[in-house]
Amino acid sequence: SGATYPNIPLSSPLPGVPKPIFATVDGQEKFETKVTTLDNGLRVASQNKFGQFCTVGILINSGSRYEAKYLSGIAHFLEKLAFSSTARFDSKDEILLTLEKHGGICDCQTSRDTTMYAVSADSKGLDTVVDLLADVVLHPRLTDEEIEMTRMAVQFELEDLNMRPDPEPLLTEMIHEAAFRENTVGLHRFCPVENIAKIDREVLHSYLKNYYTPDRMVLAGVGVEHEHLVECARKYLVGAEPAWGAPGTVDVDRSVAQYTGGIIKVERDMSNVSLGPTPIPELTHIMVGLESCSFLEDDFIPFAVLNMMMGGGGSFSAGGPGKGMFSRLYLNVLNRHHWMYNATSYHHSYEDTGLLCIHASADPRQVREMVEIITKEFILMGRTVDLVELERAKTQLMSMLMMNLESRPVIFEDVGRQVLATHSRKLPHELCTLIRNVKPEDIKRVASKMLRGKPAVAALGDLTDLPTYEHIQAALSSRNGHLPRSYRLFR
Amino acid sequence: QAAPQVVLNVPETQVTCLENGLRVASENSGLSTCTVGLWIDAGSRYENEKNNGTAHFLEHMAFKGTKKRSQLDLELEIENMGAHLNAYTSREQTVYYAKAFSRDLPRAVEILADIIQNSTLGEAEIERERGVILREMQEVETNLQEVVFDYLHATAYQNTALGRTILGPTENIKSINRKDLVDYITTHYKGPRIVLAAAGGVCHNELLELAKFHFGDSLCSHKGAIPALPPCKFTGSEIRVRDDKMPLAHLAIAVEAVGWAHPDTICLMVANTLIGNWDRSFGGGMNLSSKLAQLTCHGNLCHSFQSFNTSYTDTGLWGLYMVCEQATVADMLHVVQNEWKRLCTDVTESEVARAKNLLKTNMLLQLDGSTPICEDIGRQMLCYNRRIPIPELEARIDAVDAETVRRVCTKYIHDKSPAIAALGPIERLPDFNQICSNMRWIRD
Repeated sequence: SGATYPNIPLSSPLPGVPKPIFATVDGQEKFETKVTTLDNGLRVASQNKFGQFCTVGILINSGSRYEAKYLSGIAHFLEKLAFSSTARFDSKDEILLTLEKHGGICDCQTSRDTTMYAVSADSKGLDTVVDLLADVVLHPRLTDEEIEMTRMAVQFELEDLNMRPDPEPLLTEMIHEAAFRENTVGLHRFCPVENIAKIDREVLHSYLKNYYTPDRMVLAGVGVEHEHLVECARKYLVGAEPAWGAPGTVDVDRSVAQYTGGIIKVERDMSNVSLGPTPIPELTHIMVGLESCSFLEDDFIPFAVLNMMMGGGGSFSAGGPGKGMFSRLYLNVLNRHHWMYNATSYHHSYEDTGLLCIHASADPRQVREMVEIITKEFILMGRTVDLVELERAKTQLMSMLMMNLESRPVIFEDVGRQVLATHSRKLPHELCTLIRNVKPEDIKRVASKMLRGKPAVAALGDLTDLPTYEHIQAALSSRNGHLPRSYRLFR
Repeated sequence: QAAPQVVLNVPETQVTCLENGLRVASENSGLSTCTVGLWIDAGSRYENEKNNGTAHFLEHMAFKGTKKRSQLDLELEIENMGAHLNAYTSREQTVYYAKAFSRDLPRAVEILADIIQNSTLGEAEIERERGVILREMQEVETNLQEVVFDYLHATAYQNTALGRTILGPTENIKSINRKDLVDYITTHYKGPRIVLAAAGGVCHNELLELAKFHFGDSLCSHKGAIPALPPCKFTGSEIRVRDDKMPLAHLAIAVEAVGWAHPDTICLMVANTLIGNWDRSFGGGMNLSSKLAQLTCHGNLCHSFQSFNTSYTDTGLWGLYMVCEQATVADMLHVVQNEWKRLCTDVTESEVARAKNLLKTNMLLQLDGSTPICEDIGRQMLCYNRRIPIPELEARIDAVDAETVRRVCTKYIHDKSPAIAALGPIERLPDFNQICSNMRWIRD
């Protein structure tokens, strides 16, 4: 054995290999998403795509926003427990082994409102893949040993989250908590430390029983034949009784997100966050946000364009032209105030609400100045929009959309999320038309409406010079975004 | 008798060579966006002690304006197209690429041609860029993995071009001048050493016409010979930078492996996949196909590890990068060396079969989207002067079995003196001779 290993360099063709007959494309890729709803309420959605591989998975209306009546952290646990042993597979290893035979890999990701179990594999393995996914989602064993392992993994993840020099995930968590106090998308996305020991199989089952039901699921596939996917769904996902028992009366949290606004502060010594010998300068981070809108509303598109127009990034970031160098947070903020380390706009959007926010960071002594620069930028959003900057932002939003949709897992997520939320999918070219139609007055309108709301603020680091919440709120309701002058009698 | 055939659901990579030696390679998947770029067979390896950092400096200057476009014109044009322009320099390659709507392909090629052929290299811009590169250097220094890999190269390839960093030392960044940059271009940016690669929504004939128009008369190959590849000898040795204030130890250990095109490279990639990667937030289950992951997880020996196989034209580094707590450094290294020994002596057929499957999966799944495909085309054209068809790649991987892994690994691991780079609280790291003695065992 071992004698067949060829001693031929990779620069020369290997003799005896079958001659490949390649495929050719005629014209441009066409998008067509097909959706079928089965009798049990499960939706099956597919999108054709060129290539040898498919991405198939199950998306579920489940995540931390539904944990109000449960122990917070269940969705985080379920994400880590995904693809562990099931009724038919004795271990995660067996699952991986089965997938490897079809050149497959698996992944589970949970966000505040959606949990996705996905597999990418050779298209020829579709039957096996759907069969396996059904078992993984509906029949996990959740053994004591697996739960114990998960407790450790969650603990490690929380430690890494707090050790990481990049504070973005932590700030995002904090601003959601501030914006939607104690409700829906404001609930903790990461398991709180004190709950790690409390979450067990019983807790998980009581949650799964209510949320892992067929009417809250979409089986989505990219690079598959729709009829074949529907057939697989009927075979493996209809009529199966899940591990937590027969579906009885379910109790689902249908709360609509209540935007409260507010502030979450975490005082922390950030003077030595570097993990190595080279120091990282001490920074204070702030995030200021306002309620935008749900992705189901028409205003979602102008908000997405506005977010692109604000843009920004790190004062030192890799990448050449194309990273948004002419976005407002570069032109007005980073290029003018060299002491600022970061100014980036983010738009989070959900089925019933949204949050447009700006993250900024600078030396703790300049926090007040930094906050005012950001509040001024918010006020400017409601003013005149330059046509050239608007066109640029629209083109960039379209190119970002189309470039992201080059990748199969991204198409999968787009198909799945849209069908989960609306039972149908707006195709990329339809979205591009909507983007193209955005006018300066649309931006002005949505920004002005947004500015009438209360701010949400997150602050992390040395907060000695952080303006009060009331002052930030006053700045955002003023004409020019200035913070009220503070008279510091005792300093 | 007709040769056997296999039908693939992927497009062909079409390759054409221009008269001046420039190769044009593309794959059309009909997307509405595309990636197009220049892959140049030149990096820091072609520098000497005095001009080390020039290739990277040049990459920075490419976006600072040409005879036709000022820096502002270039930036505005790219941003208004919704395109992206990017570049990177490695030890052996320099890459400039653009992502754009497919309808903008002609403009993207014209811009790429302009920035590498007509860059102004203005004195004022050069002065300003020094500060930017020094700032980038600081950023790199906070990335401990990059620091450790630079140390690893510095020791493994000591006193050779591969031992130097890509950014170059501070003195050079402060002193590189316009002439250094112009010399580097005239010596290295030549037709036969450049590949124009594209993927996504691109028509090969259109790309070819664009290449002839923008590159046909320039980048001539006849002005001066192509410089010889500087020899880079591997030396088993170590660098230790002890810093007990750091919370974790960061280490890399590697043996000398082979160049890109060497037949053994496929087998070493299988071995590399078999060792695998792991991170403690994966928990116990995620990468159980790796025996090392099982051992480190159960023994709580490290926070993460990552196996690597870094190839250059005629040499390579095969090894492991790990992040551990101070107390477990020695135990972790012990387990790693045991695993390496096991690869050479006792690796099983089923483990190898799994690693082969995983390797194929990783290679194929990675080819998703125009940019990764374009990168693969550009890199393979430079390394192999062709794009290896998928069935051939699979056949080469299939030809590996446990016996091959044992034989090839023994050849590169057994009784070889490794290169080691260690940073942080590494008091408990065994001394070099002891580590070397663990690379030896009695062979039957």
